[in-house]
Amino acid sequence: MKTQPLGKANAGKSDVEHAPEGMPLRYGDDALVWACWLYYEDGLTQGDIASAMGVSRATVNSYLAEARERGIVNIAIEPARLASLTIAQELKRHFGLVDCLVVPSEETGKPLIDRIGAAGAQALHRLIKSGDTVAVSWGRTMLSIGEAASVSGLQDVTVIQAAGGTRASFTYTPELCAAAVAGAVGGRLVNISAPAIVSSRMVRDALLEEPLIADQLAVLSGANKALFGISSLRPNSTIHTSGFFEEVSLQDYLAKGAVGAVSGRFIDGQGRPVAGPLDERIIAMSLDMLKSVDLRIAAAGGFDKVPAILAALRGGFVNVLITDAATGRGILNADGVTVVDQKLAQRPRSENMRFEGTRSRSRVKKFLNDPDHVVEEMLDGVVRAHHKYLAPVGKSNRALIAKDGPRPGKVGLVIGGGSGHEPCFLGYVGKGLADAAAVGNIFSSPPPMPILQCARAASGDAGVLFVYGNYAGDVMNFEMAAEMAEAEGIAVRTVLTTDDVASSSAEDRDGRRGVAGNFFTFKIAGAACDRGLSLDACEALTRKANARTFTLGVALEAGSMPQTRRPSFEIGEDEMEFGMGIHGERGVSRERIVSADAIADKILDRIFHEMGATSGSQVAVLVNSFGATPLMELYILFRRVEQRLNSKKIEIEANWIGHYCTSLDMVGASISIMHLDDELTELLHHRCDTAALKIG
Amino acid sequence: MQDNEARLLSRMFNKISEAMAKEKDYLTELDEAIGDADHGITMSLGFSAVASELSRSDLDSMSAAEVMAAAAATFLDAVGASTGPLYATGFVNAADKMGVERPLDAAGQVAMLRAITFGIQQRGKGLRGDKTMLDAWMPAADAAEAKAGEPGQIWSAACEAGELGARATQSMIALRGRAARLGERSLGHIDPGAASAVVILKAMRDTFDEKAAD
Repeated sequence: MKTQPLGKANAGKSDVEHAPEGMPLRYGDDALVWACWLYYEDGLTQGDIASAMGVSRATVNSYLAEARERGIVNIAIEPARLASLTIAQELKRHFGLVDCLVVPSEETGKPLIDRIGAAGAQALHRLIKSGDTVAVSWGRTMLSIGEAASVSGLQDVTVIQAAGGTRASFTYTPELCAAAVAGAVGGRLVNISAPAIVSSRMVRDALLEEPLIADQLAVLSGANKALFGISSLRPNSTIHTSGFFEEVSLQDYLAKGAVGAVSGRFIDGQGRPVAGPLDERIIAMSLDMLKSVDLRIAAAGGFDKVPAILAALRGGFVNVLITDAATGRGILNADGVTVVDQKLAQRPRSENMRFEGTRSRSRVKKFLNDPDHVVEEMLDGVVRAHHKYLAPVGKSNRALIAKDGPRPGKVGLVIGGGSGHEPCFLGYVGKGLADAAAVGNIFSSPPPMPILQCARAASGDAGVLFVYGNYAGDVMNFEMAAEMAEAEGIAVRTVLTTDDVASSSAEDRDGRRGVAGNFFTFKIAGAACDRGLSLDACEALTRKANARTFTLGVALEAGSMPQTRRPSFEIGEDEMEFGMGIHGERGVSRERIVSADAIADKILDRIFHEMGATSGSQVAVLVNSFGATPLMELYILFRRVEQRLNSKKIEIEANWIGHYCTSLDMVGASISIMHLDDELTELLHHRCDTAALKIG
Repeated sequence: MQDNEARLLSRMFNKISEAMAKEKDYLTELDEAIGDADHGITMSLGFSAVASELSRSDLDSMSAAEVMAAAAATFLDAVGASTGPLYATGFVNAADKMGVERPLDAAGQVAMLRAITFGIQQRGKGLRGDKTMLDAWMPAADAAEAKAGEPGQIWSAACEAGELGARATQSMIALRGRAARLGERSLGHIDPGAASAVVILKAMRDTFDEKAAD
């Protein structure tokens, strides 16, 4: 990967090479730019730069990290371009396309629709010729292409709307999309003077006989090029939001196996037309008409569209595809093509090929009696070890109650989840923190019964607060338990922890999963409850704590289940999984392993991007082991966290380093930061006494 | 031995339990690819708990609906997770819908399959195409209903449709459950929940086809 500072000038390097005394004038007063230039362009080491600039090496390091974060240094996307080229070639080969354009996938930056729009605009430049008749369908992607494109010098181009008109309740109607493209290529616009969907077959037949409309449709069937999007049937797709099919039950088509739509026509996974109630009421390009067009240019991207795009390719509706790298790779994977993955993986690895062959680890050694009894035996040990803090509610150790926790008039805090995360959750049961914890099987939510037992035992007639990680299984079981508790007259409120930055976009905060940051959320919730605040207040404070907590994790080796005693998956020797959950599942992406500082920087850059903390803010930091990573490495990570926070003048109010929320014996760590305010700071320091956390 | 419908269902759960034990490793391998590597263990544990609970029950004095309800409660308690509430709700729904007279004749079997499917849908709020167990259950229930007029074909049609559905999850992106976090990385893998649904469907087929052959 090549990095280069912005605004690279043609200035000679010679004056820099002579290790200048002061800061050269052309860098203004920007030490960051200067440091970056020396590092990335002149190839000096950080030590050399430190002496050249008269600052410490650690400062240089912070400068470089800061420069990346502020965008002074951009990571050039050459490898990404290579990847998208590889994917484009593979798509072209596998599906026998005339052409394929794949835009690189970026983590941030412009929205996908705009990037595909820009690529579509380029494609128009290349593909539309004088004299063409181009049919244009509708949708967000089409409009984006029309708006981005500008092709001059064409003559006698006709642009025809591929479907009748719709209500203008959205901006990407067939009329507007066709008009945008016509404007972009300087072509003559032909509209279809009929609605896209009419009320009955009779109306349609009558309209088709109208000479004006018949003429327009004749232009449509004479199109030699078509530009269209591909719609998924997902809840947020154009098909749902556009109102185009508002009166049609999509369930009807889904039940018949439809996976997507092109030009308002539904197709199944093999690209075969799916008949439905709409067919005889639609005035638009038919699938047969589309197939007879010479150049059929489809532009579509997004993972939700993969099945639909694949279907359109299989059905032969597309011979030019414009998409993005991630979607393209998804399409290939979905069709069983993995060469791309191999090709992409080979490139960086070839330089350090070693002689050892594929070597899979044999069984992982564990302290076990009976793998099927690990949870019971662990809980037995826990109850014996921590009887000062907790005890089983009933006969089973699956519901544990704090000995000195619940009291009349106090909101009861119930936490819980699968086992395998120890000391989570049971280690946080005790005075000043959780009143009860429900324990499930390994990585599995507890069933409703132990949760209900916890709720009953924790209730002091002031209501009960459930706080747990946002996972489908936990939500279902805790919700069932909450319904049962409510039926018994116990008021229940729920806060789901959603601190994992990697698991979904910032806009979808509620869709994120809860990971190690729940340590902070539990702590705040426990303190609020222990102070005797109302259920409303406890819930609100807990929500605030969760909203201000951000976590990102990295795994170096997968963990192993006691029953299988093998790593749940393989992580290559020079790879890491970025964006780990805490269930031994895979992370969000597989990347090349880099230094501890670089990993910490990558995590922190993502967290800083979302956390509104500025100079003078206070935070709490948790550097957490996933189970097998030792304290030594956690301190190395913490060191970098502290440097970065320090260079931002953000104060660490409190920090914890160790095993707080694990994933069996996974090798890896996560960094969590809670952005404090006065209220949270006070609650953070509130006294608590549990097996895993004592404060005050 | 005198056969009643409670015994028939108990036999069905036994067969499911046996089949899960056999497929445990396969299901766990599927789950290693896109989940947390415990699906085979969970399903096998849950259905063996159901089978042993039923083996301790007085089946002669139980109705089919009571067996179904007992299976739901036992499965839920043993499993938790997401499969627990999903199957428990499916089984409870089937118990609620079960008639008193001949609850498990051909029409009753189809109704049971639909009720289980519907319960799972209700609890998980899922749709077809989300890459979940519903991608096997929904087509299976549709196929069984389509064959309601030909009792001998119900279960082979259901299994065939369920299997096709499960296989189709390979080209889907998970939208629900833990695999949803993987986004496009879930492509190319069969959903373990859909695969275990096929295991259940086949055990059901074996149970009811055997009964028909008597």
